[in-house]
Amino acid sequence: MISVSNLTKRYGPRVAVNNVSFEIARGEVVGFLGPNGAGKTTTLRILAGVLDKTQGVVRIAGHDISTHGLDARSAVGYMPEAVPLYPEMRVGEYLTFRAELKGVTRHARKNAVHAAMERAKVTDYSATLIGKLSKGYRQRVGLADALVASPPILILDEPTAGLDPNQIRDVRALVRSLGKDHTVLLSTHILPEVEASCDRVLLLAHGTLVAQGPTEQLRALQKPTGLDLVLRGDEAIARTVLEAHPAVDALVFSSAASTFAVHCTWKASQDSAALAAEGTIDALVRAGIAVREARAVGGSLEDVFAALTREETP
Amino acid sequence: MKGFWPIYKRELFAFFVTPLAWILILVFLFVQGMHFFLLVDTFARQNEVGADQSPLQVFFGDTALLYMILFLLVPAMTMRLFAEERRSGTMETLLSAPVSSAAVVLGKYAAVVTTYVAMWVPTLLYIVILRRTGEIDAGVALSSYLGVALVGAAYLAVGLFASALTKSQLVALVITALVLLGFFILGMSSFVAREGTTLHVVATHVSVWSAMNDFSAGLVDSRRLVFYGSLIVLPLYLATRTVDSWR
Repeated sequence: MISVSNLTKRYGPRVAVNNVSFEIARGEVVGFLGPNGAGKTTTLRILAGVLDKTQGVVRIAGHDISTHGLDARSAVGYMPEAVPLYPEMRVGEYLTFRAELKGVTRHARKNAVHAAMERAKVTDYSATLIGKLSKGYRQRVGLADALVASPPILILDEPTAGLDPNQIRDVRALVRSLGKDHTVLLSTHILPEVEASCDRVLLLAHGTLVAQGPTEQLRALQKPTGLDLVLRGDEAIARTVLEAHPAVDALVFSSAASTFAVHCTWKASQDSAALAAEGTIDALVRAGIAVREARAVGGSLEDVFAALTREETP
Repeated sequence: MKGFWPIYKRELFAFFVTPLAWILILVFLFVQGMHFFLLVDTFARQNEVGADQSPLQVFFGDTALLYMILFLLVPAMTMRLFAEERRSGTMETLLSAPVSSAAVVLGKYAAVVTTYVAMWVPTLLYIVILRRTGEIDAGVALSSYLGVALVGAAYLAVGLFASALTKSQLVALVITALVLLGFFILGMSSFVAREGTTLHVVATHVSVWSAMNDFSAGLVDSRRLVFYGSLIVLPLYLATRTVDSWR
């Protein structure tokens, strides 16, 4: 559905996207992952037809965006990151306008708008002025807009940015359900987001495609680097027990009234963080130390990034 | 021209949903009404009226009040068109839709021209009133309205292009007002420039005063049509290229 080869975008001397190539097949839900400023938004804007590329070939649903821009744009529902909307319009009015703009015929328009509002759960707000909506609802209206002409491809730029946890869960569920009959490309800088809703991940850093593969592969790379513990008992015993454990590299103790906290870091050579955690907790309990809390730390996007970029550049 | 109609309709909606539109219309009609009243009053006091001086002709041709208000009206009508959409980011969603740049420009332009024409419609009543006291030359009335429409359409095209140049409505307003005022001052210099000089020739061509004098005398000069036609087409073309450049 989406085919990108050797895409490059320069802003003057600065290269925002550098020689990126990828394919996305029909029905895939693909996550575009990368830190801020990696070139995600630039790439998505080029795919959506709102920004011109410097070099490369982009095909959307078989249409070259340079020569058949209108056809390519007809196949895409795009939601920009900031979800810009007209504040003076009512939700229903706005979606009707967008449907007409996207070429939905007059008799199909009412149903299309209704279906999009149902899908994005804004039906109750049909008569509300967009300017009066909260951030979460604006996001939903943006989604409804992307859906209203039922395009085969959806491009969503950070669809959960600025939402509260409940809304994030809603949007993720929606994206998953959209994957059934749309090809979805969404961008995010949050790792769990990709895990929750995407089949495949494209990893972008400094404008280059660093890695791509199924989400499971990414999950495997996500290795905790340490363990945060809250313990009760003799601090000296705990220290000896932990220091004796082969997986532990460094320890940081901080005491509270009746308990104390320990931050242990695993040795880089340690293969399984899970086993290391099991082993240390078991040893602590055997030594008579009560374990109140234990939480794996690390394995953040940055760590995954570091791991991946290390693999790419020998 | 995919997308022309929805953009046209939305633009009209956006204009009339704001209080600014109604204030502009109110001011416009108030000034024109005062203008008309003073005119009729003056004519009523006169014992003899010259053969080449009808109230209609003076209303459209012999007074600066007519276009002075355009300097206020036009920039305020056009400043929003592109500047606001670019500031708020809605330009991005608009460009992501399957619409051509020409449709975006013409849809917006047609909407402001429609609004402008609608503002003039109530002044047709003045003709109805004047007809009760004397004969009205339909040709003169028609060419006067043609002149008003052409001048307005050209000014609106300039304003639309100015709005495409900046993200700030205020800057768009200032640019438009300055350009229109520049035209006006250049036109006025036809009174001070010596006859026969290039400045005088250019100034008479550009002068909105002499243009409206011609139109209100029933004179439709093809040079005027070409001048105002170009002043419509050129800014619209440049605006279309500007929209293209945002992609």
